[in-house]
Amino acid sequence: MTLGTFILKNALRNKRRATLSVLSVAVSLFLLVTLQVALRELMNPINDEGSSLRIIVRNKVSLAQPLPARQLQVLERIEGIAAVSPFSFYGGLYKGDEKFTSFAQFAVDPARCGPLIADAKIPKEQAEAWLADRTSCIVGKMTADRYKLKIGDRMQFTGQIYPCDLELKIAGIYQGTADDRNVMFHQAYLDESLGNPGTVGTWWVRAASIEEAPLVTDRINKAFANSSAEVRAESERAFVLGFVSMWANIKTLITGISIVVVFALLLVTVSTMSMAIRERFRELAILKALGFRRRELFAFILAESFGLAMSGALVGAGGAWLVFNNLNIQKMTNGMFILFEVTPRMLGFGMAVAAALGLLAALVPMIAVARTSVVQGLKTLD
Amino acid sequence: MALPIKYSFRNALVRWRSTLATVLGIGLVVFVFVLLQSLAAGIEKSSSNTGDKRNVMIVRKGSTAESSSLISRENLQQIRYFEEIARNEAGEAVISADVLALVSLPRRDNSGEANVLLRGVSARGMELRLQVTLVAGRWFTPGKREIVVSAKLAKRFANFDIGQSFKSGSATFTVVGWLDGQGSAFDSECWMDADECRAVFERDMYSSFLARVPDERAMSNLVARVEGDRRFKLKAESEVEYYRKQTMTAAPIKWLGGFLAVMMSVGAVFAAMNTMYAAVGARTREIGTLRVLGFRRRSVVLALLLEGALLALIGGVLGCTLAFYWNGYTTATMGFETFSEIVFQFTVTPGLVVKGLVFAVVVGIIGTLLPAIRASRLPVIEALKAI
Repeated sequence: MTLGTFILKNALRNKRRATLSVLSVAVSLFLLVTLQVALRELMNPINDEGSSLRIIVRNKVSLAQPLPARQLQVLERIEGIAAVSPFSFYGGLYKGDEKFTSFAQFAVDPARCGPLIADAKIPKEQAEAWLADRTSCIVGKMTADRYKLKIGDRMQFTGQIYPCDLELKIAGIYQGTADDRNVMFHQAYLDESLGNPGTVGTWWVRAASIEEAPLVTDRINKAFANSSAEVRAESERAFVLGFVSMWANIKTLITGISIVVVFALLLVTVSTMSMAIRERFRELAILKALGFRRRELFAFILAESFGLAMSGALVGAGGAWLVFNNLNIQKMTNGMFILFEVTPRMLGFGMAVAAALGLLAALVPMIAVARTSVVQGLKTLD
Repeated sequence: MALPIKYSFRNALVRWRSTLATVLGIGLVVFVFVLLQSLAAGIEKSSSNTGDKRNVMIVRKGSTAESSSLISRENLQQIRYFEEIARNEAGEAVISADVLALVSLPRRDNSGEANVLLRGVSARGMELRLQVTLVAGRWFTPGKREIVVSAKLAKRFANFDIGQSFKSGSATFTVVGWLDGQGSAFDSECWMDADECRAVFERDMYSSFLARVPDERAMSNLVARVEGDRRFKLKAESEVEYYRKQTMTAAPIKWLGGFLAVMMSVGAVFAAMNTMYAAVGARTREIGTLRVLGFRRRSVVLALLLEGALLALIGGVLGCTLAFYWNGYTTATMGFETFSEIVFQFTVTPGLVVKGLVFAVVVGIIGTLLPAIRASRLPVIEALKAI
């Protein structure tokens, strides 16, 4: 019998306990990874080439304050801008929904917004149909699937932010963007329904190159300084991070809960390991009497504890990876979470936590073994 | 019956280390559960705490909140002559037209910006909201760009101390006072003069009307009249009712709390099972002895179940106590209806404590059930032989 098989046999001697220990570690690690994934999702990881070129221009007062439509002429003359279009968040309640519509509707300029949503794949004739009909819209594939919409259908919205209700005719269905849910329609139609107030929600700008993007941002901010509507232009990434700041204490809360989970995990693992060692205190004493050194006994304990924790980690973190990679989280949560991706870093983090746990949990029984003399150990009945 | 129970409890004390681990483990599960639910409860409490029963809130039909509502000035001229609305001594209708604006402002700790809800309010509007009191400084002077901020928001945003000023767009506001909404939704607002607010944010329209009615009949009449009138696209309801419904933000927190509780309790059940199996294993001979003495199987099961339940209950009490430590602590997040920072308190309600304790006991009993059944099924002779 080699040392390896000895350790393995010992660990699996009480199969029920081994299983329960592995499972409790696994559940906790699954949870830990899930929390990490959710936290990353809040920070919005979408970061493709399009997003590093996109610049979002909003009113400096706040996102809720509109911008004058006349700014377009100034924007168009700014150097380094490849494309610009209004993007007004309409925020309507879709007729099929009761309280809350989970997809956004944006009023855009179809003739200008093409380069801004370059990822969106849409058949040419559908794009042309959209351009031609002022009351039409294009719908993301996810939304179209969810509500079983097809080209030619009409969508009715109640304006929750804008004081107008809209009926839009579907001219096309697009896919291929990071979030295929949005509905896009004509800004001109929104203006008309509102009685032409001459305002837009935000401007979306595409910079000519990644190098130039920060410069363009500065130029836009300067262009409207000391005007009736000062603006805040920022990269899409910075814009999204602004939302994270608005979540306030939620991030701290999730981090706090993660710590509690790890701590609870530690308790359980330590307790299991202590139980396992206490049960065979006598055997360890016999091993000692046979001439095994203290550090060899330590190695037995450590290997068993480490092995249990790592198996738990494999099941838990690996399980999370399998589950989140194979389930369509976007569909299940109605698009609240889009990527829900387990990164290698999170897996590594989970494994590291488990490894640390394995070591820590071995500590208590190791001290107990070290402190006990052979005679005392042999006397132990329990 | 008494002996097996006493025996169980003494045993729990002898194995104090694994007992402690189980108790703490369950305690932490209950802590997380109660804490998250107390957040949701805090949001709901601050909403249900807001408003006056004698007030009617009027907003645009279709808008989810005051801040996204727009009502024209003509509507005010029409509605103010409705006889359902109460009159003051001077014979004027007690109705206030407010303007709400969202402004993005930097946080005190420099960790970014967040939206703050700014309410442009008239003297009448202040009379209608007696919940709001001034706790420091003075009220704003109408016609000036002065602002009174919520004392609770003042702790979270830069330049919100009295005497300081901040810029929004091209306007500069001076903070002249702190208000307190007594745990209501007004704790998440800043107040300024209504006309000045309209001018600064270029608003032709009002956001909402708030009207006082003399009695309940007048209230239902006013609601029916506003909603029935073809000239308006307006929605009227009791102010209390309006705020009670502003709890969309609480839903995902509740969901998260439930999810975590379920997941963590599965882990806790495994851990409790482990401890109890070990306990039963170590006591095989003693359980055999109890059986020989004539105690029934079900007495043994019951004693062990009670042991598990009690340990879990202690854990539950511990968890609730930990959560209670946070009771009343002020925190904030983005409100889904207003799209602005809402301030509220962790609120551990008696109902939540009961839920937490029941939850703990259920976890304890589920964790103990299988080990207890195993203990009772041990053949007596075999059990006595075990070392």
